[in-house]
Amino acid sequence: MRRRVALAALLVVCVAAVLAYQSSRPAASGADARVFVPSPRFYLDLSPSFRTSVADAYWLQTIQYYGEHLRSDNRFDSLWPMLDLVTTLSPRFEQAYFTGAFALIDAGRPDRAYGLLKRGMAANPAEWRFPAYLGFFAYTFGSEELKEKWAAHWYAKAAALPGRPAYVPRLAAALLTKSGARDKAIAMWASVYAEGDKYSREKAVKALGALLATDAQERAKELASVRTMMSPQAYFQLLQDLGMGSS
Amino acid sequence: MSRVLTIALNTFKETIRDRILGVIVLFALAMIVGSVWLGAISLGQAGRMMQDFGLVAVTLFGLVVAVFVGASLVRKEIDKRTVFVLFSKPLGRSEFIVGKFLGLCATLFVVTMGMGVFLFVAVWYVAKSPQPDLLLACLLIYVQLVVVVAVTVLFSTVTSPTLASVLGVCVFIAGQLSSNVLSLTRLGHSPFVKAASWVVFVVVPNLSAVDIKAAVVGEQVSRPATLGLWVGYLAAYCVVVLLLASFVFRRKEF
Amino acid sequence: MAVAIETARPHVESSSAPAALRLQGLCKVVKTGFWARRVEILRGVDLTVADGDVFGLLGPNGAGKTTTLKVVLGLMRATAGTVELTVPREQIGYLPENPYFYDYLTGEEFLRFSGRLFELPSQVRESRVRGLLGEVGLEEAAGVHLRKYSKGMLQRIGIAQALVNDPSLVLLDEPMTGLDPIGRVEVKSIIEGLRRRGRTVLFNSHILSDVAELCTRIAIMKAGVVVWEGSVESALAESGDLERFFVRQVNG
Repeated sequence: MRRRVALAALLVVCVAAVLAYQSSRPAASGADARVFVPSPRFYLDLSPSFRTSVADAYWLQTIQYYGEHLRSDNRFDSLWPMLDLVTTLSPRFEQAYFTGAFALIDAGRPDRAYGLLKRGMAANPAEWRFPAYLGFFAYTFGSEELKEKWAAHWYAKAAALPGRPAYVPRLAAALLTKSGARDKAIAMWASVYAEGDKYSREKAVKALGALLATDAQERAKELASVRTMMSPQAYFQLLQDLGMGSS
Repeated sequence: MSRVLTIALNTFKETIRDRILGVIVLFALAMIVGSVWLGAISLGQAGRMMQDFGLVAVTLFGLVVAVFVGASLVRKEIDKRTVFVLFSKPLGRSEFIVGKFLGLCATLFVVTMGMGVFLFVAVWYVAKSPQPDLLLACLLIYVQLVVVVAVTVLFSTVTSPTLASVLGVCVFIAGQLSSNVLSLTRLGHSPFVKAASWVVFVVVPNLSAVDIKAAVVGEQVSRPATLGLWVGYLAAYCVVVLLLASFVFRRKEF
Repeated sequence: MAVAIETARPHVESSSAPAALRLQGLCKVVKTGFWARRVEILRGVDLTVADGDVFGLLGPNGAGKTTTLKVVLGLMRATAGTVELTVPREQIGYLPENPYFYDYLTGEEFLRFSGRLFELPSQVRESRVRGLLGEVGLEEAAGVHLRKYSKGMLQRIGIAQALVNDPSLVLLDEPMTGLDPIGRVEVKSIIEGLRRRGRTVLFNSHILSDVAELCTRIAIMKAGVVVWEGSVESALAESGDLERFFVRQVNG
C-alpha cells in the first residue's frame, strides 16, 4: 500500500514538473537570424528523389524562417542561403523562385531577387512568369535611366513564351515605345493586334497611329515589315483601321 | 509449382496477421495525415509537399516491413522447428525459399498499395484533382522493395536476422545511390577505382532507376520507355538472388 | 583419437521380408562450438526395417535415435555409410519430437496445408482431413487455432499430418509423449491399424510397455551404434521383461 502511494506521489511530482516547465517556456523563443544552412553541393550526389525531398524540407523551413523574422526582428541573414539550397536541389520548383524573390525584396536585397529569378528562368525557359517578374522588378527597382529599357526587354521575352496572358505583350509594346525602341515597338504592337481581342486591337491601332511615320509612303514601308507577322486578312484589317485603305 | 503456391499462401497468411504490420501501417497513415498539415504551412504547395513526404512515408515504412519480416522468414521456421515437418514431405529446398519469398511479396503488395491508395485519396482531397502518377510511383516503390526482400532473404540464410535486416537496408540505400556509382565508373581517377566502381555497380541493384518520385512532384520528366526495361532488369536480379539463396539453403542441415 | 568400442559384435536377427529401409554403416559427425569441435553422433549404424514391420527404436538419451531419423529423411546428410530407402518421399509420413506447428492456422487448415504439399487431389484431401480429424479425436477442435492446442492435442494433430498422405512408411519420434491415457490408447490403436493395413512403422520411444505391446521388431542403440536388433519375441524370450532386457543391453 505504501509503495503505491509513493509511486503515485512520484508520478504527480513528475507530471507537475513537466507542466511547469512547459508553461514557463517563453511563447516564442527569440529566433536567431543566422541559421546553419548546408551548402547544396553536399546533396548534389544524391538521387533526384532525395534531392527533391531535401529541397521540400528546406522549403518549409524557409517559410517558417521568413514568417518568424518578418514578425520579429526583420533580419533575414540566412534567407538567401536557404533559397539557394532549395532552388539548386529542385530547380523546377517554380513557386520557390517567385515567393523567394518577394521575400528577398522584403529582406532588402532586390539584387539577389533579380539573380534568383534569372536562375529560375534559366532552369524553366518555357515559364512566362519569370521574365514577366523580372520586367516588373526591373521597372520597380531599376535606375531611372535604364528601368524602362530593361523592363521592356524582359516583357518582350515574356511575350514570346506560351501561355502568357494578353496584357504581357501590350505591356511590352508600351514599354518599348516609352524606351524609344521604335522598330521593336512597332513589331510588338503588330503582334498584339494580330492575336488580340477588340480591346487589344484598339490599343494597338492607337499606339501604331502615334508611332508610325506620318508620311504615307514611309508608313507603308514600315508596315510592310510586319506583314509576315499576321494573316493576310488581319493585315488588311490593320491597314483599314489605320485609315490607309488598300495598298 | 502448386507446392510453391501452398507455401506462398501459408506465408501470406502468416505475415499479414503479424500485429507489428498493423502498427507500422498506422504510423504510415499518421504520417500521411500529418503531411496534410505540412501542406497547409507550405504557402500553396500542399499538393507537392503531400506527395513528396507521403511517398517518403510509403518507402520508409514499406522498407521496414520488407527488411524485418524478410529477415526472419526463414529463421523463424528453423527456430520453431517447423522445417522438420516441411522437409520430410516432398518439398524442395528451393520451392520453400521461393514460396516464402512470394508470400511476403504478396503481403508487401497489400501494405504498400494500401498506403498508396490512402495517399492518393488524401492528395486528391487536398489538391482537388487526382494524381494517378502517385499510384504508379507506389507500384515502383513496391518493385524496389521486392528486390530488398530477395536480398534480405539471401542474407538471412547465411547470417542472423538482425544482421540480415541491417544489410538489407544498406543494399536499399546503395541501390538508391547507384547512379552515382555509375558516374564514378566514368569519372574515377584511377583504373582501379573505375574497375571497383563497375563491380559495385553490377552487384548492387540500381533501384534509383525505377524511382519516379522526382517526376511525380514535377521536378523531372519521367521516361516511361526505359522504366519497363529497368523493371525487367530488377526482376532478373531477383531471380539470381533467389537462386543463390536456394543454393545456400540446400546445403543447410537441420 | 582412439575411441573405446564395444568388443562384442552387435546381435542382429534379420528379417526375411523385403526391406523398406536399410541403413549400413551410417556415420554422422557434427561440428559444434566455436572451435568446431567434432562430435560423432552416429558411429556406424546398421539397421534393417522390413516391409510391414512395426519397428521400435530404443536407446538412452543421446544415443542418436532422433539423428538417425533425420538422416533417413534427408534433414541431415550422412558423413559416411548408406541409407537405402525403397519408399519414395511421397509415401513417407513423419512426426517430429516435441512438434510445433503454425500457430495461426486452425487444425483443419494445417492438415489441408499438409495435404496440399503432397499435391493430393482436393476431394481426396478433404476426405482424408475429415477422416483423420475423427481418428485422432480432434473433430471439435478442428476450427481452433493451433496456438490454443494443448501438448496432447498438438501431438495428435501431428500424427494426423503424418498420415495425411496415407503413407506406406511412417516415422514417429516419441509419439506417445504428452498424451493422457485416452490419447495413448487412441494412438496405439492407430498404430495397430497401420500394422493391420500392412504399413511399415518405425518409432522411437522410452515407454517400453508400449513397445512390447505394439512392435514386431526392435533395435537398441547406444552411443551411436546399434547394439541389439531383433524380434520382440526373442528379446522377451531372453529376459522375460523388456525393461530388464533393455537395461542389460545398454549397460553392456
